[in-house]
Order: sequence, then structure tokens, then C-alpha cells
Amino acid sequence: MVDPASTPLGKMLLDEITPVVMVLCTPNVEETCQKNGLTFVQMLSPFCDFNNIDVPVRTASDQPYRLHKFRIRLFNASDIRQPNLEVAKERLKQVITQVGEKDFNELCLDQPPVDNSRARSESENLPSWFQFFNKELIQISSFSDHEAFDHPVACLLVVSSKDEQPINHFVDLFNTNKLPLLLNDGAMDPKILKHYLLVHDNQDGTSEKATKILTEMRITFGSDCQLLCINSSQDGMVERQDNPWPFYKSDASLKQKLGCFLNVDDINEMKDLMQDLSSKHIIPYMELKIRVLNQQVSATRKGFRNQIKNLWWRKGKDDIVDSPNGPTYTFSSIESQIRVLGDYAFMLRDYELALSNYRLISTDYKLDKAWKRYAGVQEMMGLAYFMLDQSRKEAEYCMENAFNTYWKMGPSGQNNATRCGLWWVEMLKTRDQYKEAATVYFRICDEEPLHSAVMLEQASYCYLLSKPPMLHKYGFHLVLSGDRYKKCDQVKHAIRTYRNAVSVYRGTTWSHIKDHVHFHIGQWYASLERYDLAITYMLEVLACSHQSKTTQDIFLRDFLQIVEKTGKNFEVLKLQLPEINISSLKIIFEDHRTYASPTAASVRESTWRSLEEDMIPSLSSGRTNWLELQSKLISKKYKESNICVAGEAVKVDIEFKNPLQISISLSGVSLICELSESSESDGTKSDANSSATELQNDDESTKLTSRDMSSRNFFSLSEVDFSLGAGETVAAQLTVTPRVEGVLQIVGIRWKLSGSVVGFYNFEPNSTKKKSAKGRRANCSPSDNLKFIVIKSLPRLEGYIHPLPKSAYAGDVQHLVLELRNQSECAVKNLKMKISHPRFLNIGKRENLNMDFPSCLEKKTDSEWSCLQANPSNMSESIFMFPEDTIIQGETSFLWPLWFRAAETGNISLYITIYYEMDDVSSTMRYRTLRMHHNLQVLPSLDVSFQVSPCPSKLQEFLVRMDVVNKTSTESFQFHQLSSVGDQWEISLLQPVDTIFPSRSLLAGQALSCFFMLKSYRKSATSEEKTPPFALLGSSVRLGPQGSTELLFDISSSPLADFHHCERLHQENVHQEDPTTVDFILIYRPVKSDVNPGISDPARLFSHHACYCSIASRSPISWLVDGPRTLYHNFSASFCEIKLSMTLYNSSESVASVRINTSDSNSSRNLSDLMEAHATSSGNQVGWHDVALVTDIKVTSDVVEAKFGKSSSLESVPPFIWSGSSSTRAQVEPLSSTKIPLQICVFSPGTYDLSNYVLHWNLLLSNGEGNSDEETRRSSGTCQGYPYHLTVLQSV
Amino acid sequence: MATTACFIIVSRNDIPIYEAEVGSAAKREDAAQLHQFILHAALDIVQDLAWTTSAMYLKAIDRFNDLVVSVYITAGHILNIVN
Repeated sequence: MVDPASTPLGKMLLDEITPVVMVLCTPNVEETCQKNGLTFVQMLSPFCDFNNIDVPVRTASDQPYRLHKFRIRLFNASDIRQPNLEVAKERLKQVITQVGEKDFNELCLDQPPVDNSRARSESENLPSWFQFFNKELIQISSFSDHEAFDHPVACLLVVSSKDEQPINHFVDLFNTNKLPLLLNDGAMDPKILKHYLLVHDNQDGTSEKATKILTEMRITFGSDCQLLCINSSQDGMVERQDNPWPFYKSDASLKQKLGCFLNVDDINEMKDLMQDLSSKHIIPYMELKIRVLNQQVSATRKGFRNQIKNLWWRKGKDDIVDSPNGPTYTFSSIESQIRVLGDYAFMLRDYELALSNYRLISTDYKLDKAWKRYAGVQEMMGLAYFMLDQSRKEAEYCMENAFNTYWKMGPSGQNNATRCGLWWVEMLKTRDQYKEAATVYFRICDEEPLHSAVMLEQASYCYLLSKPPMLHKYGFHLVLSGDRYKKCDQVKHAIRTYRNAVSVYRGTTWSHIKDHVHFHIGQWYASLERYDLAITYMLEVLACSHQSKTTQDIFLRDFLQIVEKTGKNFEVLKLQLPEINISSLKIIFEDHRTYASPTAASVRESTWRSLEEDMIPSLSSGRTNWLELQSKLISKKYKESNICVAGEAVKVDIEFKNPLQISISLSGVSLICELSESSESDGTKSDANSSATELQNDDESTKLTSRDMSSRNFFSLSEVDFSLGAGETVAAQLTVTPRVEGVLQIVGIRWKLSGSVVGFYNFEPNSTKKKSAKGRRANCSPSDNLKFIVIKSLPRLEGYIHPLPKSAYAGDVQHLVLELRNQSECAVKNLKMKISHPRFLNIGKRENLNMDFPSCLEKKTDSEWSCLQANPSNMSESIFMFPEDTIIQGETSFLWPLWFRAAETGNISLYITIYYEMDDVSSTMRYRTLRMHHNLQVLPSLDVSFQVSPCPSKLQEFLVRMDVVNKTSTESFQFHQLSSVGDQWEISLLQPVDTIFPSRSLLAGQALSCFFMLKSYRKSATSEEKTPPFALLGSSVRLGPQGSTELLFDISSSPLADFHHCERLHQENVHQEDPTTVDFILIYRPVKSDVNPGISDPARLFSHHACYCSIASRSPISWLVDGPRTLYHNFSASFCEIKLSMTLYNSSESVASVRINTSDSNSSRNLSDLMEAHATSSGNQVGWHDVALVTDIKVTSDVVEAKFGKSSSLESVPPFIWSGSSSTRAQVEPLSSTKIPLQICVFSPGTYDLSNYVLHWNLLLSNGEGNSDEETRRSSGTCQGYPYHLTVLQSV
Repeated sequence: MATTACFIIVSRNDIPIYEAEVGSAAKREDAAQLHQFILHAALDIVQDLAWTTSAMYLKAIDRFNDLVVSVYITAGHILNIVN
């Protein structure tokens, strides 16, 4: 622990608690002193500090010690009174205001971050005026009657040698009328040490007269008389380096030469005088007084007897009035004397003695409820403990006790409480208890906002200095302090504290705090008309989405008002309103890839690339071609930049978001761009670059504007105005259209908020996450994405398809026209096109362009139908090449027919890409592609399903069942025709059309089933191969209203056949490979419900393509049992023998071996038995087959175990038996039939079901045919016989 | 006992992650920022105390006028309540 005397508090106490010398002087003395611009007290003040004296002192108990440092305080008698509170306050306010002005001007614009301020030394950290302020504050409570250290110890009576009758003057001076209240009201002993001083002005002549008066004085007043000669310098031109006086005269102007008539002799004389006064008179006097008082105190209060007596006596006084100041004590009371003793001992640094006396008196005051005195004594006890460096706890306890006691007294104790608090704080600070010190500062705060403000600010610094630093508290108390400063109009101080607080809150996310601090600083700066600073702070609070609507409104309004007051267009680099969603930044530009619509641009690049894969003349070679050309113009540095074409807009999509609950308006939203024009040589180009970098060194805002202006002619920008509602997000598209070749750089965005503030947003190169539509540039650095090389303008095709519907019902076939427009002057050639969904879009022929749809599809005579022949080339998913001679000249448009069919329900994205080459060979880009994108919604129309089953009665004939459900909700359809595809099939009606469709049309939601007959003309595999694969020959039936003249549509004509082919390709995967399939095309039309119900819309046509409809038989073998159905026989004569024949047909393409097993069974079998048998037989029986290849029909007889256990029983004789062989084997050639004779014997009349036979078939595959395709097919199987009912009647 | 309360969950590094103003008292205009100020300032105390005690609930660790700060500290996060 350091010496308490050398701590700040120790120094303070040694300064403050020192003997007071009351000065009484005549006006002539003052007049003499005023020649130097000083009062008498001021003149002597510099010489009241004695730093190296050596005065021996003895304590009350005769312990000798020496005083080396001493100080006396000089006061005019008129000043020895309690200071006027109002005056004092005014003075404090003045002090603060002055400091505020000074600090504010010094305030650097960028406050240091809080870490730096912590690193700075303490003294630097704390504003120096705090000390001064605290001192002033302490002095407010001086000259109180409850404590003795401010009571004058001695009185200095000063008379000038000019005065008439100086002796009388001396007597007059100590007249009670002029004495301070303290001496008159009995608070202190009026008999104090008097010292007589005669002042002689050397300018008035020699000191002879003065010496004479001095002798006279000595005679009258004794030895305590001295002469002081001043103003020895005649010319008044004394200059000194370290003028001691300005420090003591705060209101002195600098021009005044303080002490100009005082030469070295005068000063030495004054020094000697004061030293003599203190060491020879005051100190011995005090010492003496201490001894006297101590003896008295010992006599009356020390010892056991006195203590008891005192206690008894005190108790008796319990009924005294409880006035706030307690009873009054005159100087002669023992309590006052003890106090004086204590204070004198304190001033002479006999802290032990002081403490013991304070302790003694403290209990008395407490018992007397003299709270102010009690607190004062406690305060002194605390200080004495501190100076003794004893028991910290005791010291703090005393200070707290004193503080609380003063505090409880209310307003009268306020100033004392403040003083006590300040001393206490210093005590805590000395012991590094900054945290506690801060709380004490906080407690000192009273109603006076100015005092509290300063106290809170000091508290905040304590928090900062505490270890570890309590930055949160620091910030909070700064803000509290700032608020108080603001309350008493100390705006500059308020700004200073808030600005310090900002450094704490910077970077945190405590939004309300930040808003509060920034907003108020902004407001206050605005009130000081520092609008530029105000705006920088206000900007911070603009994006306050967390605040209430009213607050947001206030913030924005105030901000705009401030901006208005600046009277100029304010430009702000990082305006937070609106928020810009940088991740939404999307740049759409067109190099060789052009887009017909914005939606096309948003499609993923990979989709386009896969589509264009075969079309572009190989990506790498194509690029090198034109890059090589470009490399002449463009330096390597920019090789990785994007390319854009002069005259074509680069579009930037970006989202603006309003975070507020109030709407804001934006105007003039545009891009900021730089375009450095390139000339032919690289040399000038680099010049352009350097000029650009030069610009960047300039001030930010001017740079932006100048850049804007200089390049205004090189490109044009789009400007957008819009307003953002509460919380709204708006995506804006901004464009820049370069006009000349060069390098275009998109720098940022600018906009104008509410018509007054211009905001900028720079696309920071590292923060830009460009989501370009071009995947090709994915690896480039982001900054390059905003850089474009502008090349010479090129032809650009624009493509439209009309009328491509947005939504359609499934099956809708339409005739569309593709229009390509070339706006430029150059022609383009070598057009190619590819469509992503050939099922939906099919490319027609040039001849189809002006055709009348759908009548052009109608079947004409054979000679005419050539023009609509299906062209196989464009049916596959290959590239469609436009005819070689297709050249789209400049400023013309080009039409080409397209067929559309809504093939599938759902949402479909159609992608069309058109490739074209420039006719102009010199252009930097050889080719471009036009990408078109169309979204289509296809609604379900008819749900058509076909089921084909073989006709049980006829071979090669099939029954086709068509199930149709109208899935639409509103549309009605009318069937036009059903066609089977392929020349081997012929379809025909089973019933008249009117029977099938009694209502003619199929209404919404309606279902319908109808049957058709399908005949096969299939000959053999060899003959079929001859037919061309795409020639869709087929047969059709008209389903339209009977008697109508509508022609059938030719399914082999271009769009239908093409679409059918696509459908076949599509459905191929779905259906398993089956040779016996048939394709159907159902053509139907919507009914014009509004015009004439029942009449179909002739302009529209729907088609449904059902491919690979299996003809349902499982086995390739079909058979037919032929024979009589009814016959008469005389059973009395013999049993009846009936011959039957079975016709076997092999529909497969290999030779089949068939074995027929007959089994005799009971005719009493009922139907369920039959079904059961059928079920078991088909599931379990796998026939064995003979591998021997037999060419002839071989009839062998086998004894076969009956399959059915029941039938094998011999108990009952079956009504009929199969005669002849029970097992017959036959070989059937592919696609041919064979007849096998069968015979049964019937024993009694009745009706018999001849189904009790089983067919085992087995395809005999030759070795060559055993390819994978054949293996997957079933090669053998078993079939249960059909029921064949035979009735035999007894003939008469 | 004041009828207003503010509830804030503060994550490490003093980042507020949840804020709620509760209580029946009529809302003062500056309640939100005042509460934030007090709670933010109380973090100093919390940071001191958190290392000295094993208790998770720290009742009335700081006060400003009639507002009292109580804190519940979890293993990683801090939860404040003002009453």
C-alpha cells in the first residue's frame, strides 16, 4: 500500500482540510494589490503551500514529530460563509458548458473503439475537468457550522500604510459587524489568533513611514505585527516564466499581466511572510490549542467516571426536540470542543488523536440525534482511518454511514452527502475498487440533472477502469449520463457520452439500444446543425424492422427532415432502405445464347445444353473459332469475361425489400455501370483502364456521379420507379444497354429514397453470389460475372409461336406457326431447330403453312395425299434442319408450321432451341441460338382404354372393347373415327353407330363402352417386313353421326402419323414386347356446347393413340371345336357315335406342337366343379413335351390317368366317353391352322358339356430363333377346353 | 413489484436471440430500449457471477430503480428476466 498521503484522496485531503486564515483588509490594501490585477488574497495565495518546511510539533501526549508539508487557506472574511447554492450551481453549469464547447470542437469524428480507450492510461481516459468539477462540488458544502476544519484558525488583519490612523483601522477591522456569521452566532470561538500586517506600496515612497507605523503597531498589539512592502517594480514590466497567479484567478484574461509590479524581492518577502505566519504562529497556536482542549476533554470525558456520568446525562436528555440538525452546540460546549480538537489534530496530521476524539464525540451526537454532526464526524472518522491506512472496512463503513446519514436528512444534507460520496469514491478508487466506486457515484446522483450527469459519466469510467472492465455497464451509464446532460441542455456533452457508448454497442445485435443511441445522436447533431454527422447516425436506424410502426415513422420522418435541411441531394453509399437481397441478384445476358422470353432465361443451363448438344458445331471448336477472332480485339485478361452484344440489353434481376411497416417510395432505380470504350489497339485500351482507376481514388460519391456522366453516351440505363408497401419485396429488372464495344462493368445500383436521398449499393466483388443463368461461367471469380466484353452488334432472332395455348385438353391437335423475326440488317442462315418434347410439338413442312386445319387431314383420293406424307426424318428426336436455302434476311420474319398435340396430362415445359449462323462472316460470333420456353398445362380429356379378346367363335377375329370416360368437367366430346393401325388389321362396327352413341356426344363425366370387330389379315412374318415402318396404313370406322358427310381423317397423314410414331416410341417402354398387338387411333372432337349442341367443332381435333394393345389370348394357340349341336339318335338300337373336328390355329411365328388329352368324366359335374378344375389345372399343370421333332401328324394312344380323381371312379358309367385316342398330338405350322378329328360316344340322351379335354401346346423353337427376344416369351402352356354343349335326343 | 417484465434469451457472445415484453402495465414508449439497456448492462454482473457460483438460477443480481434482473444460466446460454 502506498502512503495514503500520496494517493489522490490523501492529496485532496491535505489540500482541503487545512487551516483557514481569515483575511480582513482595508480598501486601500486592495487598491494597492489591484495594480497587479490581483486581490490581496489572490496575491498571497501562491505562497500558502509549503512543501519543504520543517516544523517540529508535539502531540498531546508529548510525542515529537515534524511537519514537512503544510498549507493554509486564505479567505476574505466576507467569503467565510456557506456558499450560495444558486450561485454555485450557476458556476458549475458554466464550467460544464465551457468544457463542453471545448471538448466538442476537439471531438474527433471517429470515436476510437472501446478496446483502445481501455488501453489508454487512466489520466488520459478521464476528462480532466472531472477533478475540477468535483472540487467545486465539494466546496459547495464548505464553511458548515457542524464541522470545524473550515473554521478560521487565525485572522490576518491588513492595513495599508496609506490609511489614516492605521491603528484605529486595525481595531475597526475586527469589528463584529463585519465578521462572518460563524464567529458571531457562537458556532466558533471569536477569540482567535490575530496577526497584524501593514502593507506598504513602494511606489508611494520609501518605507520609512511604514516602519514608523509598524513600531507603533508593535507597541499597541504586541509582537504579532509585520510589514509587507510590495510593488517594488517601478515600471510594471516584470515578466516571469512561471507566473504563479493565473492558477488562482480563474476568470483572468490573458492580457492582464498579473503581478506585473511585483519583483523578486516582493515575492520573497511574501514567501517569508506566509512561512513565518504558518510556522511561527499558526502551527504553534494550533498545537497549543490541541493541548488545552485535550486536557479539558480528558478532564470531563475521559475516564470511567466521566463516561458513566456522560451516559447518564445524555439519557436524561431523551425528550429533546427531534429537529433535523439536532440540538445546537455553541463553541463552548464540550461536544464542539471535542470536534475542534479532532479537526485540529487532523489538520496537524495527528490522525490517532483525531480519530479517538471523533469516536468519542460520535456516540454523543448519535445519542443526541444530531444527525448532521454525527454524519460529519463519521465522515472524518472514515478519512482518519484512511489516512492512518488502518482497517479498510472501518473506513468504508464510516463513509457509508456518513453518506447514508447525510442522505436521510433530505435536501439539507444533499451537498454534504455529495462531498462525502466523492471522498468515499476516491477512497475506493485508491484501493482499485472501481466497481464499488461506480455504485457510489451512482448513489451521489440527486435531483439536479447536471450533477447526476457528471456523476454518472464518472461512474461509467469507473466501470471501464474496473478489472475486468465492465463494458456493458460502462455503456449503460454513459447513456444514462447522456440523457441527463440532454435534460439540462448540455447537448454537446450528451453527444460525447452517447458517442462513447456507441463504441460499446457497435457490432452487437441489441437493436433497440443501437437504435436509441444512434437516433438520439443524430437528432442532437441535427439540433446543432451538424447535418452531415446527423445523417451518418440516422442512417444506422433506418432499417429498424423490429420497432413499432410509429417509431419507424418517426425515424424515417426525422431522417428525411434532416436531409431536407441539408438542402442538397444527399448521397449515401450504404443506405439501408430498402434492403437489397444480393443473393437474388441474377444477371441475364445474351452472348451466343439468346432467349425468346424471360422464362427461357431462367431455365437451367444444363437443360439447354443437353438439348443443343448435337446442334452446336461442338462447343469447344465453336468457341475457339470466335474467341480466336476476338483475341485480336480483346486482351487475354478479359478472356474469361462474359460476352454481350452492343445494342442488346443486359438485364439484372434483383429484389428490394422494405423491412419497415410503412411504405417507402423509390424512384430512379438504375444500375451503375462503367464502360471503357475499346479501340482497335491495346494501347489506348489500357489508357481507358488507368483513367478508371484514377477515378476510384476520388471521393466516393463524386466518383459515382462522374463515372455516370462520362459514360452516359456509351450505354443507356433503364430507370424504374416503384413504391414498397409494408414489408413488401419487389423484384425489379434493371437493364443496361451498351452502345459501343468495350468492357462493361456493372458496379452497383443507385436509387432515390422518397425523392431526396440517393442510395448506392455496390456489388462487392467478394460478396456477389451471382446466380447466372449460364452454367458455363460457374468457375469464374464473381467479379468477372459483372464484367462484360461488349462486342459488335449482331443479328438476333426473335421467336414466337402462335397460337401456342397455355392450357389444352389432352389429345388436342393444333396447327401452329413459328415466327422468327430478324430485326437486324444482316441475314442469318443455316437454321436448325430442336424440340424437347416431340410428342407435343412436331415440325411441319413448309407446304403445310397455309393449310386449312383440320380439313387438310381428311382422306382424299389416293393421288392427292402425298403432301401430308409423314416424314420420318423429323419424327425421331433428332435435329430438324431447315431447308438449305432458308435465309432470314434483315428486318424480315420467317414463318414455319408446327403441329401441336397435347400428348400427356400435367404441366409440361416445352423447350425449343433454334440455331442459326450469321451470314456476315466477319462478325465475332459465328452462330447464335435462340432458346424458347413454353409452359403448358394439359388437362385430362378422355380416358380411353382398349381391350382386345379373341372371338370365341371365329379364328383371326377379335372383339375390341373400348371404354371411354370423359374426365373433363365441362367439355363434351363427339367421336369422329376409330382407326386401327397397320394393314394387317381391319376394324369394323359391331353395331350401328346410333346404337352405340344414342346421345351422339359424350358429356362431361360420362362413361361409355362399345365393341368393335377386329379382323386380322396377318399372313406371315416375311410379308410384313416389306411394308415401310412409317406408312401407317390402316382401317378406320366412322363414329360420327350417321348420315353426316364428314370425311374420315387420314391417319397416315403428317401430324397424326408423326404423333402416332412418337406415341409408339413413348409407350414402347410401358408395354411388354408382344408380337400380337394392335394400335388404335381414336379421333374425336369437342362439342361446341354454346352454339349448337350435338354439332362438333370442326376446327378442332383430338386424337388418342393407344399403342400395343395386346390381343388378349395368352397362348399362341387357339382352337375351335366344330360339330353338330343337336342330333337325334335311337339309343335303343346302339350308342351314338358323334364325330367332331377341332381346328387349331397357331398365331405364333414358330411351329407349335399341340397335344390334346381327353378325359372321360361324369356328366353330373356342375359348373362350380368345372371352375375349380379349371383353376387348378391352369395353375399347376405344366405339360411335358416331346422334344422329338415330328413332321407328320402323329396319332398315338396313351393310357392317361384321369386328371380328376372323381371322374376316375368306376361306380357310375359316364354318359359319354371320348372314343378314339385319349391323347392326340399335332404339329401346327406358324400362322396356319390344322384340323384334328375327334369322336365321342354317347350312351343316353341328354345335354353334354364336352369341355373335359386339355390342350398342351409347346412352341418348337428352331435353334436360330432362340434369341433373347424369343426366350422371354412363353414357349409352352396348357389350356382347358372350352365348353361345348351337345344335345342328344332320343329319336322316335 | 413492477407489473412489467421483459424476457430475453441471450446466447453466448451477448447476442440476444429471443425477446418478449410481458406484463400488464401500460407500455411505455421507451420500455423496450430501457429493458434492453438494463439487461445488457446486467450481463457484466452475470459474467462475473457465472464463474463463481454453481447455481443456475441467480435471483435479483442487478437492479435499476424498481427493475430487478434475475437470470437463469444454462450450460451454454443465458436467460434473463426483468421484473
